[in-house]
This record gives sequence, structure tokens and C-alpha cells, in this order.
Amino acid sequence: MRLALFLLCWHFVSNGLAAEKEKVIYEYKKYEKFDLGNLEVQGQLIAPGDISVRERDRKRFELDLYSRENFDDFIAKDLDSLR
Amino acid sequence: MKNIILSFLVMGNVWAQELKLSQKLEEKKYHFSALNEFFMETYNRPIINDDVNRLEQLLFFTGIELLDDYEPSLLEKYPTSSTRFILGRKAIKDNKSDKAIAYFTKIHPDHRYYPEAKLLQGQIYGALNDKREAETVEQCLRSAEKNETQTPTEKIKRYYRMVYEICLVNKARHLYRQKNYQSAIDAYDKIPKESYKWPYIILEKAWTFYQMGDYNRTLGLLVTYKAPLLDTYFFPEAEYLAALAYFKLCLFEDSSIIIDQYYTFYRPRFEALEKVLRQNVNSQNYFYNLMFGPKIELKDHEDFVHHIVTRLKKQIRFSLDFNAIHKLDQEAKRIIDNEKPEVRNKLLGHLASVRENMVNKINYNAKMDIFKFLESVPFYSSELFKLNLEIISRKKDLIYGNKKLIADRGRGDYSNVKRSRFEQFWKFHGAFWADELGDYSLGLKSNCEIIKKELPVEEEGL
Repeated sequence: MRLALFLLCWHFVSNGLAAEKEKVIYEYKKYEKFDLGNLEVQGQLIAPGDISVRERDRKRFELDLYSRENFDDFIAKDLDSLR
Repeated sequence: MKNIILSFLVMGNVWAQELKLSQKLEEKKYHFSALNEFFMETYNRPIINDDVNRLEQLLFFTGIELLDDYEPSLLEKYPTSSTRFILGRKAIKDNKSDKAIAYFTKIHPDHRYYPEAKLLQGQIYGALNDKREAETVEQCLRSAEKNETQTPTEKIKRYYRMVYEICLVNKARHLYRQKNYQSAIDAYDKIPKESYKWPYIILEKAWTFYQMGDYNRTLGLLVTYKAPLLDTYFFPEAEYLAALAYFKLCLFEDSSIIIDQYYTFYRPRFEALEKVLRQNVNSQNYFYNLMFGPKIELKDHEDFVHHIVTRLKKQIRFSLDFNAIHKLDQEAKRIIDNEKPEVRNKLLGHLASVRENMVNKINYNAKMDIFKFLESVPFYSSELFKLNLEIISRKKDLIYGNKKLIADRGRGDYSNVKRSRFEQFWKFHGAFWADELGDYSLGLKSNCEIIKKELPVEEEGL
């Protein structure tokens, strides 16, 4: 019985070692031809206008230039200038 | 001044026996010495009506300038209109508006400081957006005008005229704040060209016309500052406003010229002024001597610094303080000439310390004015820089859009001058005439129309 088991194991190990040594060669197609005229797109066709981006004016950032709201500082200055 | 108060507090009891000394000094017209003696005699006893009248009489001759540094607790002992006026001013400086109004409302309507008190009260109401401002300004105008007609002295007449004009200007400023620009212009126009306030009004009127969209009038008004008569009046804000008005007319090149001129011409002058300030910041009398002493030679941009100082000198407070110094000197001279050595030594010591105090006050105020002027420079330099960036940005947009400003206009045209039916038109021939200063308007057409840039026609191959 023991002998039979040993022989079975030996068989599996020897087969595995033999498979590792085997060389695998992959080959790719060197040339393939597509006939674009015959290609068909399946599904609903839509107009190109629907997917275009609408043109809009460029946002202009303006600097906040100083403009006088009141003369409060001049009023205070006049107060100082009297005495 | 504090050491003077301290000295009379210590010596009060010693002098108590000579209660009539202040009267004797007053009889000799030594008013400043009499005032000091008066305080010594009265500060530690109840004040009676006679004291109040005497104090008013003394202050009429000395003025109230030398009481500015007195302790409020001391002044509160004397319920006169003059002391209330001083206390009201102190309260304004301490931002105690309610207290200031309480003092000002107690000033008698016939008192000489009543118009000025109403002026200050109106300013407080204005700052608080209180409706009573308009009514108080009217009271100021009426009382100042009445006092001016009743006063025989020319100098005092001028003082009331000044108070009247400031009240009037404040009325215009109030209208400007309310965006009632045409009424503001009408109020400004009531100030005559001979007025000390008038050169300052030009800038305010220019802003008002700017807000009304009359940029030509704004520029015309600002041109007035180029007149030789007004060469002491330089304001960085006026340069900014001129550049801004050109910008609004889309005259970018003109705007850029003003900006360049500001940086190249004025910056070194500001630096020279700053140098003068920094070198003498701790001096107790340098700026006093610069204003009232013999002309001091300066290293850089001497004219510009002297122009700024001359402008400061025209303020009424410097005239009043300098006048007080002059009167102190006169009193000291009379004491030297007429009094015995022991009286002389006693009185002159006090007069010298009051004089020193007044010199320090003038020096400090002048220094602060120069400091505040220089403080405004970086703000307008930065605004001009922002304006320059905006000009560059607009020019860039035109180039990217293949557009240009119309620019096929004449340099100026009469049709662009807005004027009322009361104004007449003369052409400017390069000379400034005193009677026409402040009435200029440019006749520039707005350049803001944008047209498509024509592409250069390509020549056919040679």
C-alpha cells in the first residue's frame, strides 16, 4: 500500500517538472484590415449642434477704484485747523 | 502747562492773602500774569458771579489757547461760556459726543464763541447722522454773520468770516453725502474766491462734478491748482482724481501721463519731506522755527517743503497761537521795562513757561499735520497703481478683441463744455487770470466709443 502511494506521488512530481520546462510561444496578427465604410454604428443618431458648447462673453474683472462717498475727514480736519 | 497748575496749587495758600494782586496786574494790562494770579486766588474757594465776569474779561484779552492743557476738573469750577467751550472741545477729542453737546448748548447765544460752538455741534450731529445738523448749521451761519457785522476789528471779522465759511462748506458736504450734488455745488459757489477755504473747495467741487458725470469740469477745476498763485496747494488726491476723470473719458494716455508724473515728479519730494520729519521728530521747536523763524535751508526739494509749510501756516489755529506768543512777548517786554527786579522775576518765570508751552503746541501741531499729509500719500499712490493696472487691462482687451477706441476726435471742442446760462465762455491761452481761477472746464469728447480695428491692406506681391 505504501509503495503504491509513493509511486503515485512520484508520477505527479515528475509530470509537473516536465511541464515547467515546456516553451510557450504566442503569435499576434501582423496585419489586419478594417473597412470603415462598412462599419455600422448601432443606436440613435443625434445632430452635432446638440452637443456643441455655446459661445459666451469672457468675464471681465474690474478693480474697485476709489470714489469719495463723503468729506467726513475734511470736516474733522477743519475742526483741528481752527484751534 | 501742567507744571504751572502744580505751581499755583503749591503756592496757593501763600498768595491767598494778596487777593487783589490779579486786579492790580489787570489794571497794568498784564493780562497773562493776571490770569494766572486769578486762578491762584480763586481755585480753592466758591466761585461767585464777579469771578465769572472777571475770568471772561481776562480771557477776552489772552484768548483761550493757553487753557487748552488745563485740567478739565479745574475749568469745570468756573461756569463761563469760554470754559464750557474749551471743555466741549476736549470732550470731542475724547470722543464724548453727548458731553460735548451738553457743554455747547450751555454757551450763551451772545457769547463770542457761540458761532464756533454751533459749528462744532453741527459737526457732531453730522457724524451721528442726526437731523438736528441742518438746524445747527443754520444757527452757526446766522450767528457768525451777525458777529462779523458787529465787530470793529478786522482780524476778528476775518475769524467770524472763517467760521461762517466752514459752516457753509459743511452744509455743502452734508448735501454731497446725501448725493444731492447740484445743491452741493450751489452751496460751494457761495464761498468767495478770496476766502482762505477756497483753494480747498476746488477739490471738493471737482469731486462733486465727477459724481455728476461732468468730467470736463472736474479736470478744469483741477487745472486751477497749476496756477502760480496756488503753487503751495498740492494734494495727492487731486492728482488721483484728474487721472480718474481722464480714465472715465477713456483718454488712457492722458491718465497715464498724470500717473507717471506723480511717480517721477512728486515721489522724491515726498521723500524729502519725510526725511525732514524723521530727522526732527523729537525736536520741540524745529517746526515752529520752520514756520515762523528765519528761513531754514533744506538740502532736497527745498521749495516743495517750504510750500507745504506755508500752506500749514495759513491755518487759523497757528495765527491764534502765534498771536498769543506775540502778546506774551509784549507783556514780558513791558514788565522788564517797568517793574522792579523781584516782581519782574516772579512774573517773567511764569510768562516764559507759558510761552514755551505755546511754542511746543505749534511745533506739535505742525509736525502732526505734515505726518497726516504724508500718511495720505501711500493711499493715493496705491490707488493710482490700481488705476494704471485697469488702464493696461482695458488696452489689452482692445488688442485681444481686435478693436480700438474711436480716437478720431479733435483734442477739445466748445460743444463738449457744459455751462449754465450765467456762465460765459473764453478760450484758455496759457495764462492764468485771478478772476477766472476755478471756473475752467476742458472741452474733451469722451473717447469711450469702440470700433472694429481695420486690418492693414496687404500689398500684392512685388
